[in-house]
Amino acid sequence: MSASRGPLLFQDIDTPGLRSLEVYRGQGGYQTIGTVVGAKTPDECIEIVKASGLRGRGGAGFPTGLKWSFVPKGSPKPKYLVCNADESEPGTFKDRELMEKNPHLLIEGMILSAYAIQAHVGYLYLRGEFEYLQRILGQAIGEAQVAGLLGDDIAGSGFRLELHTHLGAGAYICGEETALLSSLEGYRGQPRLKPPFPAVEGLYACPTIVNNVETLMNVPHILRHGAQWFRQWGTEKSPGTKILSVSGPVQRPGNHEVPMGLPLSALLEGPCGGMREGFRVKAVIPGGSSVPLLPASRLDTGLDFESMAAAGTLLGSGGVIVIDDQTCIVDALYNITRFYEHESCGKCTPCREGTYWMSEVFERLESGHGRERDIDLLFDVSDNILGKSFCALGDAAAMPVMGAIQHFREEFEYHVKHKRCLVNRRRAELEARFGETAAV
Amino acid sequence: MSRPCRVNVNGRIVEVPSGTLLTDAAREAEVHVPIFCSHGKLPPLGACRICVVEVGMPKLGPDRQPVLGAGGQPEIAWMPKVQTACTTTVSDGMHVLTESPAAVKARKGVMEFLLVNHPLDCPVCDEGGECQLQDLAFAFGHDFSRMDEAKRTFDSEDLGPVVKKEANRCIVCMRCVRYCDEVMGDDALTAHQRGVWTEISSFNRQPLECEQCGNCIEVCPVGALTALPYRFKARPWDLRQHVTVCPYCSNGCSVRLGVRGAEVLRARGTEFRGINREYLCVRGRFGYEFINSPERLSTPLLKLGGTLEPAGFDEAVTFAASRLGEIAAVHGPASIAFLGGEKVTVEEAYLFQKLARAVLGTNHVDSRTRWPAAVPGRAVLKATGGGRPALTFEELVHAQEVLILGDDLQGEGPFAQAQVIRGQHQHGLHLTVAHPRRVKLAGVKFQGLWLDYRPGAELPLLQALTRAALDLPRPSGLPAEVLEGLPALEQALAPWTPSRVEQATGLSMASIADAARRLREAERKAVLFGRALTEHPEALALLHAVENLAWLCGALSAERSAVMYVGPQNDTQGALDMGLLPDCLPGYVAVEDAQGRRAFEQQWGGPLPSVPGKTAPEILEAAAAGEIKALWIVSDNWLRSAPDRRLAEQALGEAELVIVNELFLTETARAAHVVFPASSFAEKEGVMVNCERRLQKNVRALSPRKGSRPDWEIFQSVAQALGARWSYRTVEDVFREIARLAPNYRGMHWASLLPSGAQWASADRPVVPGSLGGADGAGATRDEVAARAGGGAATDGAPSPSAPAGLVLLSGGVLFLQGSLSQRGSLLPRLARAARASLHPEEAKRLRVAAGEPLEIEGSAGHIRLPVAIDPGVPEGSVFVPYAHADVDLNRLGAPGRAGLRVTARRATELERIGAG
Repeated sequence: MSASRGPLLFQDIDTPGLRSLEVYRGQGGYQTIGTVVGAKTPDECIEIVKASGLRGRGGAGFPTGLKWSFVPKGSPKPKYLVCNADESEPGTFKDRELMEKNPHLLIEGMILSAYAIQAHVGYLYLRGEFEYLQRILGQAIGEAQVAGLLGDDIAGSGFRLELHTHLGAGAYICGEETALLSSLEGYRGQPRLKPPFPAVEGLYACPTIVNNVETLMNVPHILRHGAQWFRQWGTEKSPGTKILSVSGPVQRPGNHEVPMGLPLSALLEGPCGGMREGFRVKAVIPGGSSVPLLPASRLDTGLDFESMAAAGTLLGSGGVIVIDDQTCIVDALYNITRFYEHESCGKCTPCREGTYWMSEVFERLESGHGRERDIDLLFDVSDNILGKSFCALGDAAAMPVMGAIQHFREEFEYHVKHKRCLVNRRRAELEARFGETAAV
Repeated sequence: MSRPCRVNVNGRIVEVPSGTLLTDAAREAEVHVPIFCSHGKLPPLGACRICVVEVGMPKLGPDRQPVLGAGGQPEIAWMPKVQTACTTTVSDGMHVLTESPAAVKARKGVMEFLLVNHPLDCPVCDEGGECQLQDLAFAFGHDFSRMDEAKRTFDSEDLGPVVKKEANRCIVCMRCVRYCDEVMGDDALTAHQRGVWTEISSFNRQPLECEQCGNCIEVCPVGALTALPYRFKARPWDLRQHVTVCPYCSNGCSVRLGVRGAEVLRARGTEFRGINREYLCVRGRFGYEFINSPERLSTPLLKLGGTLEPAGFDEAVTFAASRLGEIAAVHGPASIAFLGGEKVTVEEAYLFQKLARAVLGTNHVDSRTRWPAAVPGRAVLKATGGGRPALTFEELVHAQEVLILGDDLQGEGPFAQAQVIRGQHQHGLHLTVAHPRRVKLAGVKFQGLWLDYRPGAELPLLQALTRAALDLPRPSGLPAEVLEGLPALEQALAPWTPSRVEQATGLSMASIADAARRLREAERKAVLFGRALTEHPEALALLHAVENLAWLCGALSAERSAVMYVGPQNDTQGALDMGLLPDCLPGYVAVEDAQGRRAFEQQWGGPLPSVPGKTAPEILEAAAAGEIKALWIVSDNWLRSAPDRRLAEQALGEAELVIVNELFLTETARAAHVVFPASSFAEKEGVMVNCERRLQKNVRALSPRKGSRPDWEIFQSVAQALGARWSYRTVEDVFREIARLAPNYRGMHWASLLPSGAQWASADRPVVPGSLGGADGAGATRDEVAARAGGGAATDGAPSPSAPAGLVLLSGGVLFLQGSLSQRGSLLPRLARAARASLHPEEAKRLRVAAGEPLEIEGSAGHIRLPVAIDPGVPEGSVFVPYAHADVDLNRLGAPGRAGLRVTARRATELERIGAG
């Protein structure tokens, strides 16, 4: 057994054979089925999760217990639990590792959550590329079924639950919960009007709770050890741990689990082992590509929902993208913008047309045909998307660009004036070898 | 929901019900909020974002009271983001700003985005000049474009014969896709790809398989979907536009004709006018070609020798009048009969019967030329509740339960079908469709109850439904006459035991009882019937049965509930109202009623015949037997509409004088001695009454085609030539006389009949009092009640499907064709394709025919030959042949018997093979 990679979800993640029910049970897995399902009332479960302060790990950070309590109690309609495993935010890859290595923890979390909201059908919505995870999860669900942990009468408690996996068709927007539900119903994956919120009218217009993989995986720990135990990590308002997917030229990129509130710099210096030789941090996108970037001067910001918001960005899904001093910010943002242009679902005008337009302007800047007014145009087009789009995808496309222009305007201007990047590692290397004119 | 909310829009306060959308509240406040994706018949979407406004609520202090700022005004907490007015519902005290800097910037931004990829091809776009994007760009857009990148482009695409798609112009408002799904129930359109590459098309990118209604074109706010028949024909500002009433079915949609010169170039709906608003079916939208047809009659025709020769109008009038006068003098007035009139205006129908009754003295007047049975004139009125307020189409959408008896609304009343579909989709309407075939509304998609009764078992089904309703609690508010009839009805229906019902209808008693229960328990309900019952040999018993069922289920006593007669033609109801009936004067005044008759006699200046005349089928028999010598047939191709073609041919051959008013030289006109060229609906004024019993005014969009005259002028000329002192200068003169004389139209004003008219009703005193299962009128005896209500009980059950006697002929309307007018263009017949005889796959196997092979269908009187189509929706033991195609004369097969028309079918030999077209 290798060294523990984190305090909670990653504590035993690398245990060999953890995917199998036997090994998982050996670690104390599925104990809660006996101690919670049937033993505690659903309301008690919701209260415990509320008291723990667990907040959604998918990006928005909405309190999980509170969300559960929105499910109408007396509704005659069936209720559904949906696990959002569409993990498609660029820079985020935590759910993938969690599901790949510890599928039973997710199943246990879904059983407990379904019990709390009294849902008898649960769906695991996986992004299209997670076909191999569908096999892993399918196997784990099969094992659980055989062991009586899923089905008509779970471990003799009288509670019944069936779980299904569903593979998306490859659209970023299906990570948005209402678009996910549309897609799950077989319609075009496009967001729906809210209200009604899914907790009231979700899948097939029935009360539905949509939770992220990481969120659901925290639930068994909380119900097993209690709310106060969970609060030993993190801050008052953002308790628990967070798995951060770090990418960029750091020594140890990858998933790292840290207590919430840890300063960003501590993450980069500690678990990530600092920057690779020859690189310095220019900026960090802390929560996946859709959040505004944080300049290097703000690396002291804590990795929790409140501190990030105070610093003008978002913790999001925890995809920490480290941008080094040799990466051209215009190049980086062009890359991100092209992604949003490609992924805009097309439902609303600002996002559909705006992302296309932004992408076209970026292309001109990149190809050396940029004009002075293009920088303001880019900013204004982004501003016209921000807050006017149907869902958050438009904001996600607009915010990073606006942030980049605010913090690194000189790089944009350099692009216009000199028809090339201000910083470029390859060019720097060429210049060092052959002199300045060589790379122009 | 109806609690009023005070909303402040740009400083102007309006009071609207809670639940109102901000767009509607703004309209109340006379503030213009632009929209694209929002549509009155579709739920809010919030996609286009053009309607963004700033929204705020009064700030509340800790005491939950509004915080007052400087000047004593409540402080407003504005929402951080702009909101879409088309999705936000009002709340009390809400403040809305449409012209604040934030709102204006957001709106201008959206406008700019909408034009990012929109081509600037307005000069060659059919929508140009009436394009919402153009108008809003003018109102809210920038005066320059900051977008100078390449626009994304798509190829244009023809989606079948009516829809042209130019995807570059599309702003992805999704109105077309949603309208097709939620209002039409067709689901023919979808969006492909995503983002800026989103493209509307059919699912398989093949021509649309749908009703071809073109409503997707209508709701498109830009020129992305345009009508192929109108493409590049005109600029909208070159067209005179006239909103008039559609000439096709009895739904009476408002249709906006676009006229240039003397030519109708297009027909459209109108978003805020008429009962139908933007909706039109394929006939209404593309069936205007006949108006411009070169085949229109342009001169009267006289048959002096053996052939019809052109004649002058005065000559024709003199000839017709003198011949009518002679025949009346020699053989008596009872030798003259007037037929048809379901397609002329109310005023013309009124003058037609006035000419018959007051000038010639005959009561042989009937517009119901298709009916095979002699039925009293008030039977339909009684079945629909005897003058109680009629159902509106808006109420139909909000009904909880709708029972459709035997009709395929797709062909007979497309707008009614669209309303039912929208009700089902948006308001939880439940459908019960009684039809032997799986018609569109019986489809699984609409989640209704399909009562697929055995062909010909209409009466047993209705009796069984009534039997089941008798076991349910009585609805409140039944009139005394109805309650009196109950014991007799119970007795009469006693023989309908479950086993007998099941044997006769082929349905389980449980499903029939379920249908009756749903109808009884719904608060708002509607029962719809039409030709399937009235053009049935047992029409009278069926109409009584409808009335019985309606009373017992509360359809005639509950609020916002009613029975609707979806008649076959655009003015079927008006013809009935105006006394084109052998036993009723205008307004359903019985001809025997001396007191009621007196008012007409005084006005018309002379005694009127007091004995009821012959009904249409009786006239048919009498004329064929040579008893009736003169026939005047108006707006009716009698050879095709009469139930028995052989008899009709005989009648026309025997008659000494046949006068026909027609637009075209139809088969019937060819058999006439005098043919008057009539003006089309677009060329004359007048009132039409739809199946809601709504009076709507036809507007003259064109001058009458050269040589043609409106029917009322023809009637007046002949009446004058016969010596009558008629002096109507305009149609309005006629209508004023009607409004004075006909009890049901009393108080109607010509000027008030636009735009959507008024429904007539006599709520305080029903024109015909309600009574259960009785004969027409009040004085029915118990025995009569029993006899009528028990009708059908005497039959030994309907034939079983395997009976050797052959197949039951099923017929019905088709969407693309209706009547001779629809045959005159090129588009509708092309869409309708060739007629086919549809067989169940098993039946086809039994007959050893395959799809496309010719089938010979033989009835008692003749035979027809048609290619076969295989359709599992047609029940075994029957063959379905639509009656709308010009080359299919179903009445050649013989008159239908009690349980429908039985025919034999066999595969025609190769030599006889006809084009499978």
